[in-house]
This record gives sequence, C-alpha cells and structure tokens, in this order.
Amino acid sequence: MKNKTIVLGLGNPLMGDEGVGIYIINEFLKRKNDFTQAEFVDAGTSGMSILHLLEGYEKAVFIDCAVMQTTAGTIEKFSPADIESVKNLMHYSLHEADLLKIIDLARQLGQCPTDVVIFGIEPQTIGPQSKLSRTLRDNIQDYIAAITAELTE
Amino acid sequence: MTNKIDINVKHITRVEGHGNIVLNANNGTIEKLQWQVPESPRFFEAMVRGQRYEDIQIIVSRICGICSVTHSLAATKAIENAMNIDVSEQTDIIRVLLHYAEQLESHVLHIGYLAAPDFFGVKSVVPLTTTNTETVKTIVKAHRAANEWMGLIGGRPTHPITIKPGGFTKIPTEKQFKELQTKLQQTIQDLKVIADVIATVADKIPAFERDTEYVALKQTTPPTYTFYHGDIATTDMTEAIPVDQWHNVTNEYVVEQSTAKWTKWHRDSYAVGALARYNINAELLSDTAKEVAKMFSLEKGCCNPYMNTIAQLVECVHVAETAVEMIDGLLTKGLKEEAVTATPKAGKGAGAVEAPRGILFHEYEFDNNGICTGADICIPTNQNHANIQKDFEELVPQIISEGQDSIRLKLEMLVRAYDPCISCSTHMLDVKFVE
Repeated sequence: MKNKTIVLGLGNPLMGDEGVGIYIINEFLKRKNDFTQAEFVDAGTSGMSILHLLEGYEKAVFIDCAVMQTTAGTIEKFSPADIESVKNLMHYSLHEADLLKIIDLARQLGQCPTDVVIFGIEPQTIGPQSKLSRTLRDNIQDYIAAITAELTE
Repeated sequence: MTNKIDINVKHITRVEGHGNIVLNANNGTIEKLQWQVPESPRFFEAMVRGQRYEDIQIIVSRICGICSVTHSLAATKAIENAMNIDVSEQTDIIRVLLHYAEQLESHVLHIGYLAAPDFFGVKSVVPLTTTNTETVKTIVKAHRAANEWMGLIGGRPTHPITIKPGGFTKIPTEKQFKELQTKLQQTIQDLKVIADVIATVADKIPAFERDTEYVALKQTTPPTYTFYHGDIATTDMTEAIPVDQWHNVTNEYVVEQSTAKWTKWHRDSYAVGALARYNINAELLSDTAKEVAKMFSLEKGCCNPYMNTIAQLVECVHVAETAVEMIDGLLTKGLKEEAVTATPKAGKGAGAVEAPRGILFHEYEFDNNGICTGADICIPTNQNHANIQKDFEELVPQIISEGQDSIRLKLEMLVRAYDPCISCSTHMLDVKFVE
C-alpha cells in the first residue's frame, strides 16, 4: 500500500537556488525512516512526468524555487488556489513546464491528491552553479523545520 | 488596401529561454522572417571539467528533464570510448531497453500533450480531458507505462542513477522484466488506439514539403533501426562516417539572429529527429510500426517536417514491440550478476546516441586519474535550428495569403513538430498571490 503523502522536490541542483527543492528532498531522504507515512522523490526537471507520481496519495507536498516578489530566502506555504502562474508558456516544447498546469491536468483526470501543498522558496541567485546561495544555505534548517511540521501535523 | 502581417511572439521569462518567431510582411512582401533562439545550456561543459569520470553521467543527466537518459548514455559511451572500457552484452541490451523507454516517454508526451491539441484545434491538452476523455486517458496510460519502464531500469523515472561506465549498479529482476513485458504488450494495444485517433485528424497535418538533408545514426551489424549504436549517416551520402568525426558533421557556426550556434553539413542546414531516423532506417522497423506508418502514408523519403510527429508515433510502436522481443532474448540467456569494472586512464572519446529529438554528441577528455579536462556537447535542437529557418523561408511564401492567424499557427506547429529543447534546465514557479 502506498504511503499517504508524497513529497516532491523540484528543480535543478546545478542551477544554483533553482535546485533548492532537490537539496531539501535529499535532506529528507537521509532521514526518511522518521516519516513512515511519507514518500520522498527527487523529481528534478521532469515536467509532465510529475503527473504520474501523484495518483493514489491523499496528499502531495511540492518543494520548489518560486519567484514570488518577496525577499530572497523567504519560504511561503500555499495551495494552488492561492496563486496564479505568471509564466507565459509558448507551447513550443515539452521542455516548458508549469507545475500549476500539471496539477490542473491531474485534477481533470481524477488522479490528483485532495490535499496539495506547495512550499515556494524565493531564490537569490539562479545560474550555473552547483551550490545554493549563502542566503538559502543559511535558512535550510528553517525550511526543513517548516516542511517537517507540515508532515507531522 | 495594405495587407500587413506582423507576427512577433517574442517572449522572455526571467531565466527560461524561449524561441521567438518573427514575421513582418507588407502586401505579400516578406520584410523579416526569423526563428530566433537562445543558446542551449552549454555551461554544463564547464561544470563537468574537474569532475571524476564516474560522476559525469549523473551531472549531465540534469541538462534536460525529458532527455536525461539520453544525455547519461551519450556521456557514458564517450567515457567508455575515451578509456577503452568494454561492457557486456547484457549491459548493452539493458541500456538499449532503457533508452527505448525514454523514446516512448518523450514521444507520447509530444504527440499527446503538444501536437494533439493542434490537431484537435485547442490550446492545450486540458480541454481534451473533457472532449476526448478516453483518448487522453489512453495517452496518459502509455506515458505512465514509459515512465515506470524508465524508473525500473534507471533507478528513478528521471535523471537515472544506475548507469555507470562499465555497466549498471543495479538491474531489474527476471520477475520485473516479465511484468514489464506484460505491460508493454498492453502499451502496444494502447498505441494502436492512439494511432487510430490521430488518423481521424491527420488532415490537420499541413501538406508542406521541402527537400531536406536528414542525419541520423545507422547500424549495419546487425542491421537495426538504431537509437544507440552505429555511425553517422545522411540522406545525402551513401557511406556513414564514424562518430569520432562528428565535428565534420555539425560544422557549428554563429549567426546574427540567434545566440544558439547553428549547424550544416552538405547543405545550408540539415534535420535530425524521428523523421530523419525514419528516412534512413525505415525498412528496419517492426511489423506493427510499419503498419502504423502505412496508416498515415508515411514513406521513406518524406520531406514534410510536420510528419515528424507521425514518425514519432511509428517509433513508439517500434520500441514497445522490439522491447518485448529483446526481453525474451535477455531472459532466455538468463540474467547475470555483473560487477561494474572500469579503470580510469587518460584519453579522449566521443559518444553519439539518438535523443528522441535527434542525434546527440558528447565528447570528453580525461587525465590519468580519470579527471575530466575537456568536454564538448552538441544537442539535436541546435542541429535543427537552421533547418527550421529554411523551412520558414520556403513555407511562408506558400501561405502568405492565408492571413496572420493561420500563418502564425502553421509556423508554431512547425516549431512544435521539431520539439526544440530550449528551456529545459530550469522549471521554477513564477507566481503572484491571488488577492
């Protein structure tokens, strides 16, 4: 039987703060035995393939870099209903991806968990580098604490 | 009355790069017509320098979330060529199976989520969930099967972790391979259903042809519709050339209209991708794949770039059907526990594989300790940019009287048919809070 919650880290760890979701998910993977009801997945930049990871769970938690016009390092918890995407996709390429549209499609297909929570983290630096900015590194334990609270509530 | 056409779908987000279509015309005279694209993420070449040979394929798998297996395999082949590392027949077969999974995954995604909305006259796949519910569910099912197939062999659905120079760190069990076989037999049936549906809207595929040079891998021993082995072949020349001469194929050059480098071989441009593979290797397809090609009158020598999507559909059937046979062969011989053995040494080597969207080249150089000292990567999308521009130049005069909306749609559909990889290394959210 599947665990009740799937936790997905998104992003590219070789693009600086864009990969914060992967850094955090790797921390949770190290201590996954502490969370018997949750499954943790490094979903990288797989785009539409996220669709197939959601079915059968009661809850999905996404951790992703998010440009929210807040201060760099800020973590916000929200649901898809709380936000609007301002991404203007061209639909030229499979390589474009918008998490909100993927969640929408999963819902249309009846394959989306009832409870969807997104943790967005405002980036400071996005660009080719294999580490987080100092700002996000300094806050990483706070991010883990916030997500842990969500998973243990 | 003047008849002005002004198409400029310029679009820039904070980080993700996108292609731009620009067309300005006045009374039927084309003033500007450009396919503009930003450079692909070449910074990965710099990031792998200084890294150990056994970590390269993990790093480059992050170049692209859709082609992560392909990048890993191209890198691994290049590393093995650089260090004269041999792999077992079993490793070779399982790698091809993993690579097939990515072809199916990417192609179904492209056909179902990107091309089908054009054929059905809607903006995206979401409205189709209401109007064509069963079809969308069948597409999603086939896509899911491919994802699970990739996860089974690659260790996770995207960014594989089991591939190493010299072999696999872990392979599926006999039971898992048998279950995969059963699922693939169902997938073949699902693909036939998808083909039947696409056939009902095939008249929406524009009838445009332009004599084109096509480039793809060709494997002669044994003759195979290849994605993984072989030399570099072209429709402009009888003999194929070895992969280590790939720079003589790509001949990368800089153009003013784009920060991405373009390529050319025998002509001003060439095309890579499913249609290129089809035009070079069609007679080697599986029986059911040939039947699907026949349904759409797809024949070797087809020069309609929009038919690339149909060639992808044909390849979906081919990889699923061929995989079933390959698993039979693998299990008949019996799976063996194999240690991954590789000894680093200095050398330089190239590797080529077929990404879903065309031939991909990786080349690396290493010192005696197996530390990477140089890297060079040429992705299929860069090899298609010049060809897209040449297609534009021949297509637009033919459709200039159709009106701006029709022209725009046909140009966008053309770009989509190539499925360019232009924004794949970042996918972050860009949002505002609802007040």
